[in-house]
Order: sequence, then C-alpha cells, then structure tokens
Amino acid sequence: MKRENVKGRKPQSLGSRIFDVVNYLILAAVGFIMFYPMFYVLIVSISSAEFINQGAISFFPRGINFEAYKRVFDTESIWTGYKNTFLYTFVGTAVNVAMTAMCAYPLSRKDFYGKKPLTVFITLTMFVSGGMIPLYLVVNGLHIMNTMWAVILPSAISTYNMIVMRTSFSSIPDSLVESAHLDGANDVQIFFKIVLPLSKPILATMVLFYAVSHWNSYFPALLYLNDQSKYPVQVIMRNIIIDGDMAQAGDMSGMLNVVATNYKYAIIIISVIPILLIYPFLQKYFTKGVMIGAVKG
Amino acid sequence: MRKRTVRRTAKQAAAAILAGCMLLGGCSSQQSSDTGTSAAGTEAQGGDEEVDKSSWVSEEPVEISIMMTDNANQPLKQDAPSHEEIFKKTNVKLNIQIVPSNGYNEKKSIVLGTNNFPDIIYIPNTADIVTYGESGVFEPLMQYVNEETMPNFYRFWQQYPEMKRYLLNDELYVFPVVAREETANGFGPVIRTDLLEKHNLPTPETFDELLEVLAELKEIYPDTIPWTGRKGTTQLLKTTSYMLGSGYGNNGLYYDEDEGKYIFGPASENFKAVLDYLNRAYELGVLDPEFATTTAEQMDSKLGSGKSLFFLDNSGFAMNYTSMLRKVEGYEDATYQVLPIPENSFGQRRAQAYATELPGRFYAINASSEHKEEIIKLIDWLYSKEGSDITNYGVEGYSFEYNDQGEPEFIKDYVMQFKDAQPSDYYAIYTDLGITKLDFCLWACNTKTWFEIQKLDGNWTEESDEYWNIIASDQAYVQPHIDPPLTSEESEQVQDILTDVNTMLEQEYNKYIMGEAEIDQWDEVIRQCEEMGVRELEEIYNNAEARVLQQ
Repeated sequence: MKRENVKGRKPQSLGSRIFDVVNYLILAAVGFIMFYPMFYVLIVSISSAEFINQGAISFFPRGINFEAYKRVFDTESIWTGYKNTFLYTFVGTAVNVAMTAMCAYPLSRKDFYGKKPLTVFITLTMFVSGGMIPLYLVVNGLHIMNTMWAVILPSAISTYNMIVMRTSFSSIPDSLVESAHLDGANDVQIFFKIVLPLSKPILATMVLFYAVSHWNSYFPALLYLNDQSKYPVQVIMRNIIIDGDMAQAGDMSGMLNVVATNYKYAIIIISVIPILLIYPFLQKYFTKGVMIGAVKG
Repeated sequence: MRKRTVRRTAKQAAAAILAGCMLLGGCSSQQSSDTGTSAAGTEAQGGDEEVDKSSWVSEEPVEISIMMTDNANQPLKQDAPSHEEIFKKTNVKLNIQIVPSNGYNEKKSIVLGTNNFPDIIYIPNTADIVTYGESGVFEPLMQYVNEETMPNFYRFWQQYPEMKRYLLNDELYVFPVVAREETANGFGPVIRTDLLEKHNLPTPETFDELLEVLAELKEIYPDTIPWTGRKGTTQLLKTTSYMLGSGYGNNGLYYDEDEGKYIFGPASENFKAVLDYLNRAYELGVLDPEFATTTAEQMDSKLGSGKSLFFLDNSGFAMNYTSMLRKVEGYEDATYQVLPIPENSFGQRRAQAYATELPGRFYAINASSEHKEEIIKLIDWLYSKEGSDITNYGVEGYSFEYNDQGEPEFIKDYVMQFKDAQPSDYYAIYTDLGITKLDFCLWACNTKTWFEIQKLDGNWTEESDEYWNIIASDQAYVQPHIDPPLTSEESEQVQDILTDVNTMLEQEYNKYIMGEAEIDQWDEVIRQCEEMGVRELEEIYNNAEARVLQQ
C-alpha cells in the first residue's frame, strides 16, 4: 500500500503524507549521520586546542583560528606529497583507462577469437592473486622499485572495472562496427573513432573510479617507494595521523598525543578536498555509466 | 618501452623533468638543489680542501642505505644537518629510507622475507632477531665484537652484560642502541595535588588510602569521574598490575623482580588482589564506568577539562595535563603531580620504569651488503663520544659548542628559535637537526637533551623539576627486564598459548572488575589458564632465563 503511494509520487492520502514526512525525517537523519563526521573534522580543524582538549566541540567551531592550516601549509613534506599524488593520479588514471579500454574492447566483440577462455582466465585473477611477496619480487625484477611506475603498473587494470567496461562496450551493436569495416576503417580506427566517442559515460566512470583509488592509494606507495620525496600525500598523512597512537606504546618521553588534533584534522581536510571537488563534474556520467553495464549482461 | 611511455605522459602532464628524474632514479631526492650541493661537497672533500680525515671510514665516499621508521612527533629528514655532519666526519653518505611507522612492520617483513633490504635496517623488537636471525639475512656480528675492530662498541659490550640476552645461538645479529644519561619515568599514580591541599587530604601512603582519598574527592565533586584511563581494560591491567602485587607485562607474562622468575600474571594468586582493587574502585564510583572502552582522546578531554582527577599510566603525562588544564577558566592553579608509589596490600612498593640503559632499538646489517667493513667502522664511530655528540647535538658551532669540560652544550640562540615550536620545543629541534634516539643514533640521548633544551629556552617549569625529583628519589621503580632469547620453536609455542589464553581472559576481566562475578571464582579461570598451558609458558621463559644466566 505504502509502496504504491511512493511510486505514484503524488501524495493522495493522509497516510501517505505522514509517510513522506517520516521518510524525509529518516533520510535527513541518515544524511546527517553521513555528513556529521566530515563536518566535525572541519570544525575541529579550525578550533583552538583548549576547547578540543576539553572535548567541548560538538556543532560549532570554538576559538576559531587557522593556525593548524598555517602549520600544514608550512610543512614541506605535505606539498611534495601533494605534488606526487597529483602526478600519480594523473598518470596512473591515464594508464588505467587506456589499458582497461584496450583490454575490454576486444573481449566485448563476439567475433573475437578465444574470447571465452581469455575472459575466464582474466576473471580468475579477481579471485586468485599471487600474493604480496611474489608481486614485490616482480616489481623488483622489473627494476621499477622506487619509481612512480611501481605504484602505477601493478594495478594498471582492475579486472572488475574491465568487466564493467566490456559489458558497456558490448552494448554497441555489431552492425555499427561492421558497417565501419565496410567503409574501410580498421580495428584501431573503429576503436578510437567510433567506440570510444560512444562510450563517454563509461569512460568518465572509469576515470572517477581509478582517480579516486589512486588518490586514496597508500599501501603500494609504502611498499615500493623508498624516498620520502616520492611519497604521495596519503602516506604522509597516515604517518602523522595514525602514528600518534603508535608512538605512545613504547614512547618513554612522557609526551601524550603531542601532534595536535586540529593539525591532524586540517591535514585530512586538505587531502580530501581535491578529490571531493571532481565528484560533481563527473557525477552526471557516473550513475549512467555504471547502469549501462548493469542492464546488459 | 618504458621510456616511450614516460615521454608521452610527460608531454601531457608537463612534468617531464620530475618523471624523468624518478624513472632514472638518478637523484635520490627531489630537492635537487640539496643533492647538488652535497655532490659538490663530495668533490671538494676528495680534492684540495684540507679536512680532518681522522674519523673517515673510507677514502672514497660511500653511500650507505638505512631503512628506518618515521615518527609523527619527530619526522625524520634525509638531509638533516647531523646527517651531513656524519658525512663530513666519516665520508659516509647516509641514504635513509624513511618508512611511515604504521606501515613499518609490513614493509620490514616483506623486504626481509624477500632478502631485499638496504645495508642497515632498523629492528624494533627482539622477536625479529629470532625470526630473521636464523634465516641468514643478517650479518653475524660476533666476529667484529672485540677491542680492535670495534673499540667503542666493545666498551658498552663489557659495560652491559645484559646485551648477551640479544644473542641468538651465541651469535649477535643486531647492534642495540645504548641510552646516554637517560632519566626514566614509568607508570605511576598521578593526582590533582592542588585538590589534596585545598581539602586538607593526606597524601596517600597505601593503595587503600588512595582509594579513600579518591572516594572523598568523588563526594566533594560528585560530577567528576575521578579515575580515568585510555585504551580499555588491557591498558588498565598493564599499568596497575605490577604495582598492586601481580603483573601483566605486555600480554600477561611478566618477570617478577621480587620472586625472581617469570609469571603469567592473570593465572597467579596475587592477581586476585588486582581485580579486587579495581572492583572496589569501580563500586565506589571512583573508576571511570567506561574504563573498558575509553580511548586516549577521551582521557585527554576528561583530564584536560577537570572532569577527571586521577590517572595511573605514564606519569609523564602529568605535565601535559597540567598545562592543558590551566588554560581552562577556573583551573588556573590546577596541578597534576605524580605520587610516590603507594604500598600495596602485600606491603610492597613497586613499579616498573622505562628503560634507561638499553631502550630496545636495534640495527641489523644486511649480510649481502657491499660495504660491511665501512658499516662496522661507521657504527663503531657512532658509539664513540664524537659520533654520539654529533648524533645528539648536531653540528658544532651551529647548534652546540663544547664547554671547558669537553661536554657538548646547545647554543642558546639556536635553541630559542624553537621555543614555541610544535609539537614541542625539543621534538622540533630533534627534527631540525636529525638527532637523538628516534634518528639514526647508537649512543642516544632522549631526556638528557630534552631537559637541557627546556632549561635553556625557559620551558622548564617548577612542576617538571618536582616531577623528576619525585621519580628519581622513589626507590620503588625497577628497570624493565630484558627477555631472554627463545628458540623459534619456543616462540611459536609461546605465541599459540598466549593467543588462546588471552582470547579467553579478555572476556573475563570486565566481569570481575564490574562485580558481576565473585572474586573467588577467579580460581576457576586460573584452572582454565592452566589447561591452556600457561605453566608450560612460564617454564619456557624460566628455562630460557636460566640458559642466559649460565652463559
């Protein structure tokens, strides 16, 4: 009964109106729960240490100041980290999208010889992986240790994303490809001039998926990079934020949480803002892109 | 193929230089200007310029790589002045791979597991000596431990026989860091002494009196939660057990100095006294009702706002909380101060201090390193007074000077720049110079330089003085006992037993502290522990201890 009302959208009875109100309240509450932690981090980052230490901050910043941000901007390693993150995200995403698209396209064509076994083979890697140490040895054997390629190449293709993309490509009718062939285009031309331009939504989705994962990527950088000057901002951020607790375990100096909370939180804000900013621009493609993959199996 | 990719991306990204630099791996640091200067410096030293070569470990400049853990309080820097000074004095360029501390263990086990690690690697605990010592990735060091090869280290080797506990099958695999004039505090009871004075309450002499005093304070200030803590029940037991007559160590097993043997604390008769005490504190409303889940942040805010009045943990926090609380209106005279260790129900006064001699930091050398000879010389030099002065005070004439007695002293003008620095004056200086225990330093200061810095820049307070005097004059503190080396079989067995027992015990503690179970029923828990093998556990350790003593 209620379900029908929601579908009809127009509130028809008192019951459904009550339902709407309750529904909105619940959604608002859920929305608030999602939003609050982020908001809390923001207000703490601009509050002064006294109030933070007393735990006196709940909904509004107190003793507003930007000291923490000033300190963040004064920290050289954060800037280098930022620069590296941008570089890795940019280059990494470009490599990812190119590789994924080039892998997904042939697999989406029905007349591609060996499509089935190849797909099975590739899908297997989603469930079975070599493990960390073999991967480390491979990276080491390729002599790309301590270079940006160590962070980018091992994760050049995500199988999951490749399958999403393949499904999306397979919605492009074979007849379109055939007619292009008849007009004299070769496979490469078809791929670049017909398939890709028709697949902008899925490309945008892939860019977003990959960019976010590169932006948040922490472990490969920790493992494969040795120079501090090559660390992305996530590694530096984690070092400052999570270390605070570790240091106390064996720390004999009697200092407690000396890294100020507002400084930690300011770093969090600074490091999430850029990736938050690209969301709105890609969002319109986003749902569309994933849906395309979903409908056709 | 790789190069082509770079070129293409570089065009797009307009980051050709950066990427190219990374790919070629030619420069170890992006701050190319710095690399440039030090390279130039190398030539100058190798060439005409007159330099003191007495402590050089090699005629040709050598680069030695070290993997170390970073620290949030004291972020390490590759090009710190002290590292440059080491290069000047020894002709060794340190290439430090700085790994964030929260990922250090993972990275360490992978690089050691694949035998793919730098010349020197920092080892944070003795368990790794057993795990990796036998695998042959570390250089065996006993061949170097003698008067001739390593005169400076040999001096410490003689001075601290406890170092033999780091031996594995009579072979040494790590160089332990030796503390230089370290003052140690430890876990201790800290109370708002201003409130004791205000209400004419006596300074508690025994733990029972302490409970009475806290209960009275609770009556006067009913809104407060007198005793708070951090990190839940385990931390509460770690901090209180030894003082109350039993012990907990890090995982239940501890060395009892009075008994002279290893005991699994929770499975001992005396442990009932600990649970009983905590239970009384809980029932009186003195102990934080949220003790089982409380976090460090909550502890900060409760003590920093006057909501709590007492804690029993690293007593050095007292000074932080005093300064936090004094910033709050109405608390300008508040003082947290450590109490001399009260007497427990067995008539003992005892507490565990942090290490003052061997702080449990180690460096191992890669058995396949090409520069072993230079590394050994370098490390020995770092154990010398000159090496230690540089790695603890920085650069002569820049950050320190020698006084008439030949002792290093910080230069006041240098120190004053960091008076209000974050996170603290001394950590800022440690970072700036690249010095002391957390940096690559073998004979390392920590509190010595800290105190000297604070006395110079005026951040040293009366409370700090009083605090360290109370600690120093308290006979109750004992040094931590260095665990004897176990064989790999033994340590596996120990791990198995500990995991089982602690999983079971963690569900039990709270029941007894919160009074849901009678203390007499603890005997049943002890019986269960025994079934799971705690007596074997104690035996393994006591046998290992006996082996060490026989040597």
